[in-house]
Amino acid sequence: MKHLQSSALLKFLGLSLAASILAASAGCATVRPEQRAILADPTMRFDAESADQAALEHVLDNREGSTGGGSVRGGGCGCN
Amino acid sequence: MNVLGSRLLPIRGREAGSRLAPPVGARPALRRWLGALCGLSVAFGGALARAQVASLDLNSALFVEPSKRSGLTVLNPSATLSVMPNNWLTVKGGYEADIVSGASESLKGGRLSNVDIVSSATNFSDTRHALTGGFAITRASTYLRGSYTYGTEHDYRSNAFAVSAGSDFLQKNTQIELSYGRGFDQVCTTAYATSDPASSRLALDSSQGCFTDDKKRASREISLNNFQVGWTQTWTPVFATQVVLSAALQNGFLGNPYRSVVIASAGDQALENHPENRARGAVGVRGKYYVRSLETAFSAGARLYRDTWDIFGQTYEVDAERYMLPWLRVLVRGRYYTQTKALFWSDDYTGGEPQTGPRGQYWSGDRELSPLSSYLIGGRVLAKREGRPGERVFGLFLSVSGSVGFDLLKTNLRDFTLGGRAPDDTLAMLWSLGLRGEF
Repeated sequence: MKHLQSSALLKFLGLSLAASILAASAGCATVRPEQRAILADPTMRFDAESADQAALEHVLDNREGSTGGGSVRGGGCGCN
Repeated sequence: MNVLGSRLLPIRGREAGSRLAPPVGARPALRRWLGALCGLSVAFGGALARAQVASLDLNSALFVEPSKRSGLTVLNPSATLSVMPNNWLTVKGGYEADIVSGASESLKGGRLSNVDIVSSATNFSDTRHALTGGFAITRASTYLRGSYTYGTEHDYRSNAFAVSAGSDFLQKNTQIELSYGRGFDQVCTTAYATSDPASSRLALDSSQGCFTDDKKRASREISLNNFQVGWTQTWTPVFATQVVLSAALQNGFLGNPYRSVVIASAGDQALENHPENRARGAVGVRGKYYVRSLETAFSAGARLYRDTWDIFGQTYEVDAERYMLPWLRVLVRGRYYTQTKALFWSDDYTGGEPQTGPRGQYWSGDRELSPLSSYLIGGRVLAKREGRPGERVFGLFLSVSGSVGFDLLKTNLRDFTLGGRAPDDTLAMLWSLGLRGEF
């Protein structure tokens, strides 16, 4: 039991450390607005014009026991 | 919106089919669809006249799952009109239908069941209508979106609210989105008392009398809570990633009211009996990378899923998209999915020695709770034409786009049988067609 608890704790600490490193390194990423031409293209957006994707997810939700974890709005030129 | 209660409905497609319900032909459905579109135009007409920008999306998807004995066809037309009365507000209204027809087995038994499962297949048809209204407010780097969806069919009603808020950080290299969805659904069942033993409950034979005063019918509640957090990060001018965490809580009647399961070697049957609570969680990680030399955007992603019914799912997907012409782009995609069985899943509950699964408190005939894997290949072609400054396409639109998609899904059911026979409806096709105009 003790072994299980310490293993879970180590896993949690490891995940927290990884998340912290990722979050910290995100702050170092500086893509300037004038460098966003490619990122702004619809092919680089995570939810661009995705009517067919919505139809597909609709089907998969009904054919599999899993759901969630799909794409959200994001990426693009950041030029709101 | 990615977090909508309706996305997590436990009953859809074949499972939502109302046997003996009045068949819905294509023409009345088309008339209703066009009527709803006209209604939307009238509703938004005033705003449209003043709008700086509006967009109209018309989409249709056709799902076909052929089979010698059962089979399923779902036609899913939808229309969405978005209007921007000013530069910070978008108002949206939409209509969607699921026109379902086919045949399915209403009785599930496994390898040891001494009953004729195959001849239990019955024809059904039903149409689900869903109306959606919503808004989006965008201010500088922040946005707030909200929507409400009402869905109805002969045996199911849903009310789904969803809100999401997002913001950009770190010179807009980081985007965070938080979403919450709440669903209040009702499903029609036979009028058993909750104190009745589960083994004595009967399945519905039709949707007649549902949501009326009929004493042979009852309405059961389903409560849905969906949470989601998304983190999108741009790392370089050609590389971006996204991490999405999702959680869902479901409570209520989570089975199929039409499906019976053979639970004793003598052939005794009872309504499918699932636990009333289910907590689900998923984490999805994906990245997009643009290869300049190939002028192609590549995407790869993985998703891990776990729930309190002990299903563990893994999804791996890749796609690539490039412009073949300045106005035409093509996407191809592939996907692999695998899952373990639910804790209470068994192909056979008759007390013999089935290959897998415990028996006892719960029983299920739902193939989505059995161990399975699936492969998907597909693609999409999208053409878009934008008007030059001061010029409109066809004299009306700022831009017009159209897309055609096709996907092929092959499922490998590792343990699911119908009386010992492997089902033959494991190859499905999905066609999608989309038109979008901005004006």
